[in-house]
Amino acid sequence: MGGKPRPLFAGLGLAAATAAAAALPVAGAASAQAIVTSAGPDKVSVTVYRDPERPAARPMNLEWLNGFALVSEVRHVAIPAGETEIRFEGVAGGIVPESAIVSGLPDGVIEKNRDAYLLSPASLLDRSLGKRVHLRRTSRATGAVREQDAVIRSGADGAVVLQTQDGFEALRCTGLPETIVYDGVPEGLSAKPTLSVRTRSSRPAEAAITLSYLASGLDWQANYVATLSPSGERMDLFAWVTLANGDETSFVNADTQAVAGRLNRETVDREEPEEPSLALTCWPSATTSDSPTEMPVPPPPPPVADAQEIIVTAFASKSGIAGAPAVMVSQEELGDLKLYRVPEPVTVASHSQKQVALLARQNVKVETIYRATVTGREDDELIRPVRILKTRNRRQEGLGLPLPAGGVAVFGEGYARPVLIGEGSVDDRAVDEIVEIRAGEANGVFAHVVRTSGDDDRGEYQLTATSDQPIPVRFEAEFGGGPDEIFAAKGAKVGRRNGRPLWSVTIPANGSAQLRFRLDRKS
Amino acid sequence: MLPLRGKGNNEMRSAILLSVLAAAPAVAQTAQGDVAVTIYNDDLALVQDTRQLAVPAQRSRQEFPDVSGQIRPETVTLSGEGIEIVEQNFDFDLLSPGKLMEKAVGQEITLVRTNPATGAETRERATVLAANGGVVLRIGSRIEVLRDDGLPARVIFDKVPENLRARPTLSVTLQSAHAGTRPVRLSYLTPGLGWKADYVTLFDERAGKIDVQGWVTLTNTTGTTFTNADTLLVAGQVQQGGGSESDYRGYQPRRPPTIRKPGTETAGRERLGDFYLYPLPERTTIANRQTKQVSFLDVSGAPAHKAYEYRNSWLGTAEEAQSADTVLKFSTSRDQGLGDALPAGTVRVYMRDAHGNAQFIGENAIGHTPMGSELGVKTGEAFDVKVQPVVEQRERISSSRWKTSMRYTFSNARPEQVLVDLVQAGLDSYWDDTRITEESLKSERRSSDQAVWHVPVPANGTATLTATFDTRF
Repeated sequence: MGGKPRPLFAGLGLAAATAAAAALPVAGAASAQAIVTSAGPDKVSVTVYRDPERPAARPMNLEWLNGFALVSEVRHVAIPAGETEIRFEGVAGGIVPESAIVSGLPDGVIEKNRDAYLLSPASLLDRSLGKRVHLRRTSRATGAVREQDAVIRSGADGAVVLQTQDGFEALRCTGLPETIVYDGVPEGLSAKPTLSVRTRSSRPAEAAITLSYLASGLDWQANYVATLSPSGERMDLFAWVTLANGDETSFVNADTQAVAGRLNRETVDREEPEEPSLALTCWPSATTSDSPTEMPVPPPPPPVADAQEIIVTAFASKSGIAGAPAVMVSQEELGDLKLYRVPEPVTVASHSQKQVALLARQNVKVETIYRATVTGREDDELIRPVRILKTRNRRQEGLGLPLPAGGVAVFGEGYARPVLIGEGSVDDRAVDEIVEIRAGEANGVFAHVVRTSGDDDRGEYQLTATSDQPIPVRFEAEFGGGPDEIFAAKGAKVGRRNGRPLWSVTIPANGSAQLRFRLDRKS
Repeated sequence: MLPLRGKGNNEMRSAILLSVLAAAPAVAQTAQGDVAVTIYNDDLALVQDTRQLAVPAQRSRQEFPDVSGQIRPETVTLSGEGIEIVEQNFDFDLLSPGKLMEKAVGQEITLVRTNPATGAETRERATVLAANGGVVLRIGSRIEVLRDDGLPARVIFDKVPENLRARPTLSVTLQSAHAGTRPVRLSYLTPGLGWKADYVTLFDERAGKIDVQGWVTLTNTTGTTFTNADTLLVAGQVQQGGGSESDYRGYQPRRPPTIRKPGTETAGRERLGDFYLYPLPERTTIANRQTKQVSFLDVSGAPAHKAYEYRNSWLGTAEEAQSADTVLKFSTSRDQGLGDALPAGTVRVYMRDAHGNAQFIGENAIGHTPMGSELGVKTGEAFDVKVQPVVEQRERISSSRWKTSMRYTFSNARPEQVLVDLVQAGLDSYWDDTRITEESLKSERRSSDQAVWHVPVPANGTATLTATFDTRF
């Protein structure tokens, strides 16, 4: 959660286990090392990587983000002489602990730890095993509060047995309102996920520590908005970098980057922070007791964070849907990857989605094609072709820059407003590549394929492409057999695309086009 | 009461009538401004909300409550004259006791304990240490779990954290050169708003005509009411495989498609690309959880006829007679039919009973259908018209050739003659050189796979069709 560095010498809990404890035997001794807690980073940088397994067409699921990020934090910590445990609070919950790199410590790191236990009623109880606590009982009749010392003799798995001066008792089996009061929080329990390092210093020092780690639970993609001209031959292309943070940790005023391209990852086993809820059971209570047997209900666990926050950062709007933005990411080469840098620090908040402009291009040349895939497996088939926007990622077409994968929304202008006419996606596209955006299925263009003779191994077919539009449309039929398929068109020139026959034709306004062809599949 | 009227003209079709507009608009508090919604078939809408915003000079934070609860955040854009957007936030982090406590971790609260016997209250300040599966508090130097002993204890928070809200809220930090009120347009896509078409079709069998009323059925499950919205409906698919592609029937046995022949005529409607646009003539309030119906098509006296169809698979023998499909056939062409394109939806067919009341005889789904198409809508299976296909004989006539004799027995319990289209399919399922060597009625080869016979079956009578097929194997 950012804020000022708060180097704390934690004098917690166990200092109390001194003279007064003599009445009861107490286990556990205070460790010799000092604990320094760093509550949050002073400066943070986040580089978000796209989930390599998520195809371009699948949108991000904000409840289940499988990309990752490299987080680099600078923290100022005052280190005492001797051995110290430095606790880095406020690291991402999705931290991959083995990826953590800690630098800037005067005498290096002895060991790194990541404690999966969070502070909760259950962990408080569990960690207090064998320690002295206070048992507080309140009389319902008089309201009188009575406190006595006790030592916890059982773990938190379902029940608590306490040792008091009177002997051994079970918590919550008395029918009285009773609770345990602790003298402090056991060390190693934080409210938030925590990474800690052990270090040894010959003298007290003020250190600027850099902590870098990979964290899961973030993802990003591009989101393109294409606005077609009335003729449909040009489009304005605008794009966002959309970053999503599904972690419980916010990165405040972070230098923010996103990396496009696929990089190899290995599976890491990750232990989720544990926050078990506490449910205590007791022996069966009979009805001979006149005390009320009302079991105190523990407060309900806080709901799983479903907070989501969307941030669109800094773009100046002219009047259009997305005009020239004031802030736009800059692109850099990063080995064989592409890095997009947000030019000013932004906050990538917990459970939020943030958008920064990626690119804006006017007047990009584009063509709309209706493409049907013909298999010939059926004797009579009515196919709705796919609507495809096609361009080439070149300067001539008005593009010529890397296009990272993401969703595309295509708008046209109709009835005096922008009208969505297709939603599709584009994979990572390098400069000079052909870009095809498959945006929905045709509504009034059909391909009717009838087998006139033969069977599905060897047959004669007639393809009739029809259009209900008052203007000519581009139609393509791709014949989707395998490499062993012999295709022969009758009286028409048929090209090839990706090794498959492709018939390209313009269907006249309110008209149709026909192709007779033969398919022969070797057995 | 069915909304069937006997109009004698085709004039109404271009008009869209609001059928369920409440007389007095509900006085609902909303922060929405001038709202325009564009609604697609496949559960998707584009919302444009132009609000009058009093913007002070320099930086200010403005809130936009009452956006759709299902807003797709990556599609949000905001524009306005002379303003620069510094940052947009959308919070649907809603205020709840759990959230309040979660956000209070590390902060101080006030704890008020009530003495169970006397009711006396004691106040203490406490620091919330953690809210993981229970609330851990530090009171003075001691650690306690909130309400662990079940005794009454009130927690009083000093304030509500800034981003916890009562309703989903978009907030924007603006930079403006000058102060003043100006329109600012917010636009976004949202699921939860969608529409489909419902066709009420009254079939007059004797006259061979249908009257068709098309209704748009609009549904809103966004969680938000769109007040006084300028509404445009768009027919067509914008997403791959999304929406109500009603020709798709999963793994059910293959049935003939509803569109028998796609049309190539352009309907007299507003278009954009291959989409048809259906603007509503008046602004309307689309309430949350509301279903609204609007008429968009009203055609009387279009030609239509009933047909019986039966499809037999190769070497199919039925142990007992099977009902033929009842299919209503009509066209969407300008000259011979409805004269309009039909957005995807459900066609419900009614006929008048002996008392003149309309009764339901079946329904089927149609996909987006261009004008000029020929449709065959299966409404059900005929009670009185049945077909029993039987493989009479299989004979080996050479090492590789077989002779298959089929007998199809038709029965008709109706008082008039019917015509049954019998399709024998599977003719190319093994080898393609299947020939029909003998037949008692002339067939029509529809494709290499299918032959069709148009078999007249006399009133209250039977008919028999025989055919002999020469096949390899």
